[in-house]
Amino acid sequence: MSSKEKIKSTRRFDVCPVTETSAGIPLKEVYGPQDLENVDYKNEIANPGEYPFTRGIWNNMYRGKLWTRRVFTGLGSTADTNARYKYLLGKGASGLYCFGDTITHQGIDPDHPLAQGYAGVSGVSIVCLQDMYDLFDGISLEDVSVSFNNPCMAATVVYSAFVAYAEDMGYDLKKISGSILNEPIHLVYSMFETNAKPLDLAAKLATDVIEYSIKNTPRWHPIAPNAYDMHEKGANAIQEMAFTIAIMEEYIQRMIKRGYDIDEFASRVNVFGCACDIDFFEEICKFRAARRVWAKLMKEKYGAKKPESCRLYLSVHTSGNSLTVQQPVNNVARVTLESLACVLGGLQSFDPAGYDEGYYILTEHSALTSLNIHNILAYESRVASVADPLAGSYFIESLTNKMEDEMFKVINKINDMGGAIKATESGWIGSEMDKELIKEQKEIEEKKRIIVGMNEFIVSKEEEVPIEVGRDRPLEEQMATSKKREDKIKKLRETRDKRKTKDALENLREVAGKGEGHNLVPLMMESLRAKATLGEILGVIREANGASYDPYKILQYSL
Amino acid sequence: MKGSDRKIKVVVAMPGLDCHDRGIIYLSHVLKEAGMEVVYLGKFNTPEYIVNTAMEEDADVIALSYLNDHLYMIFFPRVIELLKEKGCSDICVMAGGRIIEEDRPKLLELGITGFFGQSTPTKDMIQHIEDRVKRERWKQ
Repeated sequence: MSSKEKIKSTRRFDVCPVTETSAGIPLKEVYGPQDLENVDYKNEIANPGEYPFTRGIWNNMYRGKLWTRRVFTGLGSTADTNARYKYLLGKGASGLYCFGDTITHQGIDPDHPLAQGYAGVSGVSIVCLQDMYDLFDGISLEDVSVSFNNPCMAATVVYSAFVAYAEDMGYDLKKISGSILNEPIHLVYSMFETNAKPLDLAAKLATDVIEYSIKNTPRWHPIAPNAYDMHEKGANAIQEMAFTIAIMEEYIQRMIKRGYDIDEFASRVNVFGCACDIDFFEEICKFRAARRVWAKLMKEKYGAKKPESCRLYLSVHTSGNSLTVQQPVNNVARVTLESLACVLGGLQSFDPAGYDEGYYILTEHSALTSLNIHNILAYESRVASVADPLAGSYFIESLTNKMEDEMFKVINKINDMGGAIKATESGWIGSEMDKELIKEQKEIEEKKRIIVGMNEFIVSKEEEVPIEVGRDRPLEEQMATSKKREDKIKKLRETRDKRKTKDALENLREVAGKGEGHNLVPLMMESLRAKATLGEILGVIREANGASYDPYKILQYSL
Repeated sequence: MKGSDRKIKVVVAMPGLDCHDRGIIYLSHVLKEAGMEVVYLGKFNTPEYIVNTAMEEDADVIALSYLNDHLYMIFFPRVIELLKEKGCSDICVMAGGRIIEEDRPKLLELGITGFFGQSTPTKDMIQHIEDRVKRERWKQ
């Protein structure tokens, strides 16, 4: 390198090169009173805890209740997870988190040919009613809340198994609380699309869970749409929220069609799981704008009268995609910034990613660091003491307004296409996400987006600050875990009363083809009690609706 | 058809049930921009399906990606085994995603190269594909 080039390259870093947000909203050099000229405080911003909840859903925010401090848990077998739950409860945890494994997400059983090596590997495998007994042995469901991350069709079965277990154990269903991800539409372009098709059937089953839950498990949140995955697959901050809200409108409209009033269920379908990326102010304004958009839709479009129908609960996992494998210690700074945005954005819960998330399952050190990021923000930094401290900033309010406008534009566009299912099936949502993903990757490659240690300020492996990172479990161990699960399910198939199982599944099949008016949760519970498995239950429902028994078209119904 | 008038044909696929497909979405885009022909299989493929497609399509390259866990050490060697069985070992196999350092010598020995990751410049990937195809397939 010549000395002339060196000087030039140093100068490049003397000014802030950024002139727009991550989603492409142009940024002025400075904002002032003129940017808020037409803003009506009472109607558009309002105090925290007041409609449209721009400033947060509670009047005193974190003085009333701090955000829920969660740390990711995903252990293999139901017995391992049960042991971890008991440990966490002993340490004062009030909520449990159940992350499903890959095959449960896919809606297939551990003895499916494609499941080899996957069962119980990166989460808990839940396939039959017995799994609930193993998972919650010795834990009172009336005293803890359980959050299941299982999506789409499989979620219907997991929820049914949970309720069947709670009922059989004699718990008061009115007292059990928790949530399940459930939502299938977002999966088509983000993760496990096979288990989300046919989409109309998947959305019907998700609505069955919502309907059954508001009547029988009223403290439960029967759907918690996953905006996070869409963000990580390309959707920018505006799209992440707009797509998710448009998706939720599908369920709201189905529930209204089934004869429910918006105020009977809106306050049970208002929890979003989002991402928080590194664009600090944009993320804060994303949360503020999304709350306002949700509140306005509920009140103005769906006629909600209760304030709780208009409150949007936001929870976050900080963006794994924003982290680097290079110099993992730098990720602590990234995650801290993102977590601060969560606090200033008024979130109800978040979990800071581990600094070694780019490697494998977190080390204990990295999980502890994540927990301490919570603690430093909550107790040391004093950032949580005043509700929505950024309100009134010319820039923050102006960017919040802009993001609200942009979100509404996307939502209206999807509505014009006939709703989120149509916009997904036509490929529009997917191609919008791909476009953003490609744009972002290009900008990284062209160094228009700087990522320290990855495309700029690179150091050699030897110069890195040494830090322990998570390591893969050995292949043999992974295969053995999966094999154990497979054997367990095979044994279940051999030892159960086959006729009883078959009768229950045939009952389910008969009703499953009858359409929207027939809620399948009670029959799924009966099938589970007759020892049917996840794959079998979804298989007969699929067949009754003209789809293949096995989403991968390998297995046939064989009872 | 041989030589530079022919487009390089790449089958881009993820074996198994890993769902982290950001990498192959972007890779497919840049390969197309670089003038290559891409047969995009996306995620959730069996090694058998990947190899059969590559043969039917008369592909020059199979580009594999995997991130979630360690099962690539079963899927990737299986792809090589199938290519051998079917007499198609002349198809170049490359891999990317999250391929850990310790596994690389074994994969290299099987003829799998690349090991591209989050920070590999795409021009390096394109160069790598062109070099291998010209050297091994077009004998230039």
